[in-house]
Amino acid sequence: MEILVCIKQVPDDSVEIRLGADGQPDLSAADPQGNAFDTYAQELAVRFVEENGGAVTVASVGPEDNKTCLKNALAVGAAKAHHISDDGIAGADAAVTANLLAAGIKKIEEADGVKFDLILCGRESTDAIGGEVGELLAEALGLPFVSDIVEAVPDAAGLKVKKELESGYLMVETPVPAVMTVSKPDYDPRYPTIKSKLAARKVKIPTIAKADTGISADAETPKVVFAGFEEPPKREAGVKIQEDEPADAVAKAFEIMTADKVL
Amino acid sequence: MAYFITDDCKDLIKDIRNFCENEVKEQAYEAEKLGYSDEEAADEIIMEILGGIQEMGIGTLPIPEELGGPGLCRIDRAAIIEEISKYDSGIAMTFMANELALDSVEIAGTDEQKERCYEILGEGGYGAFCLTEPNAGCDVSNASTTAVKDGDDYILNGSKCFITNGTIADFYVVYAITDKTVPAAKGGYTAFLIEKGTKGLSAGSIENKMGIRNSHTSDVVLEDCRVPASCILGEVGKGFQVAMGTLDIARVWCGIAALGVAQRAIDESVEYVKQRVQFGKPLAKNEVIQFKIADMQMKTEAARQMCAYALTLIDRGEDFSLAAAEAKCLAGDAAMAVATEAVQIHGGYGYSREYPVEKLMRDAKIFQIFEGTNEIQRLVVGRATIGKI
Repeated sequence: MEILVCIKQVPDDSVEIRLGADGQPDLSAADPQGNAFDTYAQELAVRFVEENGGAVTVASVGPEDNKTCLKNALAVGAAKAHHISDDGIAGADAAVTANLLAAGIKKIEEADGVKFDLILCGRESTDAIGGEVGELLAEALGLPFVSDIVEAVPDAAGLKVKKELESGYLMVETPVPAVMTVSKPDYDPRYPTIKSKLAARKVKIPTIAKADTGISADAETPKVVFAGFEEPPKREAGVKIQEDEPADAVAKAFEIMTADKVL
Repeated sequence: MAYFITDDCKDLIKDIRNFCENEVKEQAYEAEKLGYSDEEAADEIIMEILGGIQEMGIGTLPIPEELGGPGLCRIDRAAIIEEISKYDSGIAMTFMANELALDSVEIAGTDEQKERCYEILGEGGYGAFCLTEPNAGCDVSNASTTAVKDGDDYILNGSKCFITNGTIADFYVVYAITDKTVPAAKGGYTAFLIEKGTKGLSAGSIENKMGIRNSHTSDVVLEDCRVPASCILGEVGKGFQVAMGTLDIARVWCGIAALGVAQRAIDESVEYVKQRVQFGKPLAKNEVIQFKIADMQMKTEAARQMCAYALTLIDRGEDFSLAAAEAKCLAGDAAMAVATEAVQIHGGYGYSREYPVEKLMRDAKIFQIFEGTNEIQRLVVGRATIGKI
């Protein structure tokens, strides 16, 4: 099975990010990396082809710098990588990203002479946390869509997938080609080896220019416009209960909670 | 870190840091604590950690590129080893011991012997350098392990101690007296390459150490261990020179591992002084603390530069013996001083096992002792500096 995994490059989400004086997030300490849910999608894809045959291709929409996350993906099992440039699009929303991905995917299929059976995205990105690109991509490509999968196996119909729900799982059968988003499976992405990483760093990743995708002017125009970031309000100091006797302290606590209608 | 490392290496270090954060940091700390009460359970954790590191290909670092290694220069390799040592110097020592054993083979071995060792390391195996004996520590010439010629073979008898990787090695470089009539340094000592499973070679009791407890340190016992003459590394009687050449290189690697301990002590201290509030402000706002941190940083960085210089000399094929002694001594002393200061900065908590700095202090001590004590290093540096009297 030919699988395409869409990867977004995001700032390291283990680093606390604050707004700078210019109102923009200060990303100086947050190295760019592949979005965590996209890495889960890739691991699921790589395990699938190891078991059932096929190949995994990865693609990322964004600036030239996105090749970093694509190279990392090549080091952990992807056979090919393609960069889709969004040069000239300011503030792409989820729909524009999905449209550009859809147009780019068609170009990748032409260039590599493949037809993807399965296109995977992470369920959401760790920076924007929109969770919309997968659904919109399926819409743009006119393909069946399943969200939040954690497992996929071949099936007479195409694929049988395990979809995560809040209170359990749903087993779904779907024909291929299809688009799916991936949640966190019960395993972690593999680590690159020194050898695979060094080899991946040497790969020249082709770029598909936005102009070559044939995307329409309407499809590349954001409908949702970014207005600005805002930090959450700072935590206010709590109430100190400083009674000497424990019984008095407890009584005071009850008094405060009662006044605040907590009790 | 102030090595001039390649972009390739910078990228690799991110991966290794990520791996160590998730798979080594807590696990190695847990194994270290568990080892006091349940050695077997601790060893299971250690072997799992080593397995993961091997999967990443750390064991292949010393293998030449044309034979399947990653082809990184020594400074890149050093930066990687320091990173691992930051998380656990005992684990790092396992790979240092590989280098140590391999260095002897690279100095004196045949192409066939070298390729065999590369093959073993490439498959995730380990090496052990067996020089020290109960009565022959720094005084290598006082060794008593013998290798007696018997037809085309040699029969080895004796006991080596404090051997890193003693219980897990796949190949052992063993030094033995082949001629009792001449001093070891003058033709009496010979190096042998012996593979695991050879009859008569066994690992003895495991050392109950103060620090680097996650490394496998044990006796290696030779009882009528018969090996063919093809196991000799280099020439008969040239073992002392091979051992000394090996120790010269090993001293630098030893310094690199020590730097990992020092850097971790700095990192832990910096984190602590920012969050620990005393007298109404974080410790970090006190000048006395800032001065302590500055001294820790300067000691570590100076030693790091010395190690990097020694490695550069090796890469350039220039004489590095003096630089290696200086690097090992500076780095070992830096690790001990910095780790001790880290405990001081942490106060009572630093003395507790709830914080990692007490482990770092225990781990640091060995770097002033093995691969030639720091007194020996000072002897080397002093004599070289003074010259002929």
